[in-house]
Amino acid sequence: MRPVLAIARNTIREALRERVALIAVVFGLAMVLASQVLAPLALGEGKKIVTDFGLAGSSLLATLLAITLGTSLLYKEVERRTIYSVMAKPVRRTEFLVGKFLGLWSTGAALLVVTTLMVLAVLTVAYRDTPWVLAGSLALTLVEIGIVTSFVVFYSSFTTPGLAAFFTLTSIVAGHFAEDLLYFGTHGGTSAFGAATTVAYWVLPHLSVFNARGLVVHGVPVPPERLLFAAAYGLLYMGALLAAASAIFERREFR
Amino acid sequence: MKGSQDAVHRRGSAEHAQNMHEVAPLSPLSIVSLRKTYRDPMTLKPFTAVSDVTFELRRGEIFGLLGPNGAGKTTTIKLVLGLARPTSGSVLIDGRDPSDPNARRRLGYLPENPCFYDHLNAAEYLELVGELFGLDPNVRRHRSGGLMERLGLTPHVKKPLRKYSKGMTQRLGLVQALLNEPTLLVLDEPMSGLDPIGRAEVKQILREERSRGVTILLSSHVLAETESICDRVGILQNGRLLEVGAIPDLVRTGVREWEVVVDSVPEETASSLREMGHGLESAGSRTVIRVAEGTALQEVLARLTRLGIFVHAVEPRRETLEEHFVRALRGSQGAAL
Amino acid sequence: MSGTRDRLRGLAPFALAACLWCAASVVDAARGQSPSARTEELLYYPSGLWVRQAALGYETAAADLGWLRCIQYYGEHRMTDNRFDRIGHVTEVVSELDPLFLQPYVFGGFVLGQEMGRPVEGLALLRRGLERNPESWELAFETGFLYFVCFRDHAAAARYFALAGRLPGHPEYVDRFAAFAFQRAGEREMAILLWKRVLATGNKYMQDVARREIRRLGGDTA
Repeated sequence: MRPVLAIARNTIREALRERVALIAVVFGLAMVLASQVLAPLALGEGKKIVTDFGLAGSSLLATLLAITLGTSLLYKEVERRTIYSVMAKPVRRTEFLVGKFLGLWSTGAALLVVTTLMVLAVLTVAYRDTPWVLAGSLALTLVEIGIVTSFVVFYSSFTTPGLAAFFTLTSIVAGHFAEDLLYFGTHGGTSAFGAATTVAYWVLPHLSVFNARGLVVHGVPVPPERLLFAAAYGLLYMGALLAAASAIFERREFR
Repeated sequence: MKGSQDAVHRRGSAEHAQNMHEVAPLSPLSIVSLRKTYRDPMTLKPFTAVSDVTFELRRGEIFGLLGPNGAGKTTTIKLVLGLARPTSGSVLIDGRDPSDPNARRRLGYLPENPCFYDHLNAAEYLELVGELFGLDPNVRRHRSGGLMERLGLTPHVKKPLRKYSKGMTQRLGLVQALLNEPTLLVLDEPMSGLDPIGRAEVKQILREERSRGVTILLSSHVLAETESICDRVGILQNGRLLEVGAIPDLVRTGVREWEVVVDSVPEETASSLREMGHGLESAGSRTVIRVAEGTALQEVLARLTRLGIFVHAVEPRRETLEEHFVRALRGSQGAAL
Repeated sequence: MSGTRDRLRGLAPFALAACLWCAASVVDAARGQSPSARTEELLYYPSGLWVRQAALGYETAAADLGWLRCIQYYGEHRMTDNRFDRIGHVTEVVSELDPLFLQPYVFGGFVLGQEMGRPVEGLALLRRGLERNPESWELAFETGFLYFVCFRDHAAAARYFALAGRLPGHPEYVDRFAAFAFQRAGEREMAILLWKRVLATGNKYMQDVARREIRRLGGDTA
């Protein structure tokens, strides 16, 4: 466990010192403030505008950060051979990968928490309301970012940064259309197509599970059972992706 | 009957116990019939980087792995560290496969042209290395302080690694390789980037580690440096191990030629010496006469004395490792033809 | 040098996002000033289902953007030709994206019913909102209002006002509207019942109004 945490800490340090994470926070602040500028045009729905744009912006930024940082992570280690010194230590490859994942996820999580706190701060100051119900959406988005990060780590274990970013984005988009795929498969096409879409439905991540923004923005709290289910599903999915990434990385040779 | 059977059994047990004590301890590094074949990702053509390499390190020795570029030294080292998997053959570190993390617990590694996390400073990097080895933080702090002092890096402990010079990075590489007090050190081009003083310091450190019983495998292009420090060497070419042995056993031990150092030699004498097959060359303000064999030496000395030429020095010259290395490679290429 | 390159690579997505935002602003500003140009813009506003899919999980933010555009559209046409042909479509799209967002139903119902003379469409929008938000007193009230003002169906209006009065969070005036509507619909007993509910409120002025109406209907103010 110590090597995993040490590698995770190092990854967080790298993210902060490379300043990408800090720039993302600045962008988040700009987005929240910009939404407050638009609020008066919303015919009394300014609070909703700030909340919606704030939550959407923080989720989008955390996703972009995970992809930007994560895709270059493993590639840079192999390219610059910093991985040689690490792998020559008594560290399993799986521990290295999990450490990198935890460091990345923690960085994304920190960004999410900071930007959500910014939204709460603006709402408190401008509308004298602190909707703590947003915490439910934050929790779900944290798990969602964990899934995005595990995709990044999975694809980065065997391909270049550009392709890893592309595949991750494709997986995220496909995840939003998972239900539609199933619908098309069962309502048209051949049985082979139906079987393929069913497999795709089960394999793709059901990211809609983690989207409770439509509830919390109207003050509706996320039901605890939904939180539990989403956490369990998310952790299982992350575990599966990391296990696959680990299996690939174990067999990888460094030339 | 039973009594004699008991006696036989007891004698057998005693012999077994004696044999147990006599079993050779595990070699710090044992490589047997090691082979590594890569495939070109585009053409799928196979390329053998290491072929049938066998050698074993003795505890407490410094072993030099020599060879020209592309000989397979770095591939061999990667196979030792588990960074690549052998196509066939075996590598054992203290009897363990390199893929076992415990095999690497007492191993120190310095890569060629090391590159460390340049977003960290030296203290942070050594903290990370200590965590990876599972060292107690106080132990790590104590050891890293001592090693940084030993390698002259104490003033630079808080400097970001991106601001380290090549020589400083090389020395830090040695610090992180020694942090866990390894029993096996694997060094790829340890003298690279160091000035003469730095090289002398590193050699001294390696000798100190050897005296503590640390086994060292180093690969180097700089044969003169290797010769002065290695107990045994192995010469690689095109992935094959040509020779393994102690340097005195490998090089021709006899005197190759004699060097006679004088101030100057008259032109007529110089021509005559050349005709006899001896070499002459200037060395600053002096002239060096290379005399091929011992009997001719007496003749040359007598002649110089007759001519009243003062002889400053007479030195025997033996084959250097470099000369042997070149001879071995050429011999191998000739055999291949 | 490679560290600088890595940082630049890391900044690229944010720079791209900033460039896209700037480009969108420039395009927006460069569009023609004529109302017809702006109408065309909303003409190609996609269907709610398409936008929902394209929103990729950010439906409520997309709904807000649609809402802002809707308000701008209304404001521009209010000051020019008073034609709001696309308002029904846009409010429908917004409500598809965020079914719990009440204002588009209310606003759309109002504009369609009272400004565009298309109360049937307005009513359909409000009813759809009520189906999705059965606990919303505001939607029930606005439906009642539409019946009262546009259809002059006082009985239906009264029923919706009474519904609003049963839903949580409704303000005091809802009961007053219900009472008045029942009165106009000729349902004397219901009207008296609701005026008595108004009597129970703390508003002295409203209590005087309630007593007056109860006496007019022949009821007992005790």
